[in-house]
Amino acid sequence: MWPPAGRPHRRPMTTTLRHHSPGVADAARDLVPVVVGLTPFALLIGVTSVRSGVGAGTGVASAALLFGGSGQLTAITLLAGGAGTGAVLAAVTLVNARFLLYAAALEPHFRDQPRWFRWAAPHLVVDPTYAMVTRRTDLAGPGDPADPAAFRRYWLAAGGGLAVAWTGLTALGAVLAPVLPASSALDVAAPAMFLAMLVPVLRRARPARAGAAVAGVTAALASSLPDGLGLLCGIAAGVVAAAVADRTITDTAGSPS
Amino acid sequence: MTVLVPAAATYLLRVVLITVVPAHRLPAALRRGLAHLAPAALAALVATALVGHGGPVALVVPGPTHLALAAAGLVAWRSRNPALPVLAAVAVAIVIEVLS
Repeated sequence: MWPPAGRPHRRPMTTTLRHHSPGVADAARDLVPVVVGLTPFALLIGVTSVRSGVGAGTGVASAALLFGGSGQLTAITLLAGGAGTGAVLAAVTLVNARFLLYAAALEPHFRDQPRWFRWAAPHLVVDPTYAMVTRRTDLAGPGDPADPAAFRRYWLAAGGGLAVAWTGLTALGAVLAPVLPASSALDVAAPAMFLAMLVPVLRRARPARAGAAVAGVTAALASSLPDGLGLLCGIAAGVVAAAVADRTITDTAGSPS
Repeated sequence: MTVLVPAAATYLLRVVLITVVPAHRLPAALRRGLAHLAPAALAALVATALVGHGGPVALVVPGPTHLALAAAGLVAWRSRNPALPVLAAVAVAIVIEVLS
């Protein structure tokens, strides 16, 4: 099923005949609200790196090199607690294991790309970039004659822009750490961002709602498992539930699967 | 630079199914499952944050995070701008913190 079934893209087209390929301007337009939404989360990571004693340098380096908020928070928290390299490696790998799935889902976009892009650009695979590409129905998929250059421009502008903003905002959080009041209000920023990306997907189709419900309940039930294992259990259960729901709907409709 | 080791592992997670073993060589059943990944992953992330360290019971026992995310969900339903729900959630969380 590619691209994902859904409402046609809302953006008005200048002509109905011309194929619209999203460019740098579209990427920037998609990116701005994402960066605004992620700002509290990035600031929180910068603040945490300083207050936990791990240091601003490590916090900012984690933004550029790990490039994923939950994995960074895991690493910083463990390092502050004196954990060894092996423990940090194991925990962060589990927390970030979902990137393996995001990459697999995005792989068709990378298939006809130049070698440098196939090796360097996967570094930009992270929850917001995956969600941004999933929401765009006008990016080329397999069998789509649209040029890979359009995806390359979009990915580098959106992902590269996000990486620069994310690293800069983490540094800003580290700088502001001494003056920012101690507040847990910023903690809700990241889940609110994920919720903002989830709601439009839920409006699309019933398998998505079944998958989300099962994933959420399973992740909650398994939340006492260590190192993000509960999250992975939730994702796996949700994918299976959505696939089953999809098949049930297809069978009921009597159309070949 | 202890962060270099998990960063290298994370890079491997990102690159392996794109460039090393491209995902189109995976079995068809697995590839069909990937189409359903987005809602499952996002919902699991939200639920994990909602529950925190409180165990599964925390999913149904209302707390400040529930109120903040309920506000975010309402705003997300009305608007396609992903920044507004975040701002709504943080605003609600700050109000709750000030009042309590």
